[in-house]
Amino acid sequence: MPSRQKARSTRLLVATLVSISLVVITVDYRSGSTGPLEAFGRLALAIMSPFQKGVSKITNPIGDFFSGLARLPTLESENARLRSELDATQSQIIKAATDLSRLATLEELLGTKAALAPETVGAVVVGSSVSNFEWSIIIDKGSSAGVSVGAPVVASPGTDAPSGFTGGLVGHVVRTTPYSSDVQLIIDPDSQIAGRMFSSGETGLIQGQGEKDMQMNLIAASAPVRLGDLVSTVAFQAGDVQSRYPPGIVIGKVSHILQDAGSPDKYVQVRPTVDFSSLEFVLVVVNQEVAP
Amino acid sequence: MRRAVPFAVAIFTALLLQTTVFPKVTLAGAKPELMYMIVIILAMLEGPSVGAVIGFSGGMAQDFLQNAPKGVTALTLTLLGYTVGLARTYIVTPSPLLPMMLVGLGTFGGLLFYGIVSALIGQLSTGWLYLFKIALFSGVYNGLLTPVFYPLLKRISEGDRSRFLFGR
Repeated sequence: MPSRQKARSTRLLVATLVSISLVVITVDYRSGSTGPLEAFGRLALAIMSPFQKGVSKITNPIGDFFSGLARLPTLESENARLRSELDATQSQIIKAATDLSRLATLEELLGTKAALAPETVGAVVVGSSVSNFEWSIIIDKGSSAGVSVGAPVVASPGTDAPSGFTGGLVGHVVRTTPYSSDVQLIIDPDSQIAGRMFSSGETGLIQGQGEKDMQMNLIAASAPVRLGDLVSTVAFQAGDVQSRYPPGIVIGKVSHILQDAGSPDKYVQVRPTVDFSSLEFVLVVVNQEVAP
Repeated sequence: MRRAVPFAVAIFTALLLQTTVFPKVTLAGAKPELMYMIVIILAMLEGPSVGAVIGFSGGMAQDFLQNAPKGVTALTLTLLGYTVGLARTYIVTPSPLLPMMLVGLGTFGGLLFYGIVSALIGQLSTGWLYLFKIALFSGVYNGLLTPVFYPLLKRISEGDRSRFLFGR
């Protein structure tokens, strides 16, 4: 019977496709991020990103408009708050500028060289992860702009603001094409960062938890930790392993502390300072030597 | 296959919308899973073999855009397209809600399968509770979006049979 024959050929087709999938899973699992399949991944990214850029150029203003409508009632008070913050910041900048010139003079006197300020490239966020199980963004700068795998990404203070580090840590580049890159966010469950409490100097490992606040491990139960403490990146070197991020970038604030009786560690949650749902511009650090 | 081009366009558009528009419009923190929806709807309209092929191609395309182990989405969607294509021949209800129900349930089951396979190879870093939550809300979200996408995909599916026979 022809229908039975058809069902048989369909089963054969499905068995073939399933086998190919299993082979791909195995090859990818064994070779990790250096395998031959990674080239296809970069190709897919290279094909998609120009279109993503086009779409987000159209949809971002629309999204901004609607989120602006929703926030309209609070805008006035926010405006006032921002103005007062701006005044405070400007006086700080003036003070910082004087400090900097003094620092330069002193360094000159002592004959030391100032640490090289990280060079950054501004990039536009053109898309997000395709999956519900990954937290990443696609940006519109790639290897042609000097972006390399492992490069740290920080939030940009704005489109035309000078490249400073007032923003928070966003993540690091995991894949590049000539004109786009894939950035793993620090809230991805696969992301681990060494962090240090600003006030107490306590260090720990910060792991992403997806939509929930990040978790900071290895904090001793006796450590003085307060809610709202700032957490920043810290430089470390353990054997061949070197920290990926330059020290001193703000990661987030302590949002939750739980002390388990009998446990040698504290359970500390850190809320990122960057709002990943509305991220539009970022800065990629391009000149530092990083471990991939 | 002459319809390969419109199907490829559908897959490409789904990936584009999934990465640009829908990350900003979530339902209880869950994005829809447009690729699952496309595979289920086309499998309903075209049967098990086309369902499996579209599931495989769409799944592979999606796999290569992420950093997760590649091939798991392709495996999931191949089986999902085949299963939905087979199941369609046994369901006789003329209810207009059928596509929504099938897409919702299919997405829920498909995502659970995806999560279980990922966990088996030690790659489900998000935890079981999150998997269940995402399967549930993405399923509901996909079901709610079905009335928007179903007519478009039906037009593609019937495109080369008759250019003027849209709908029932």
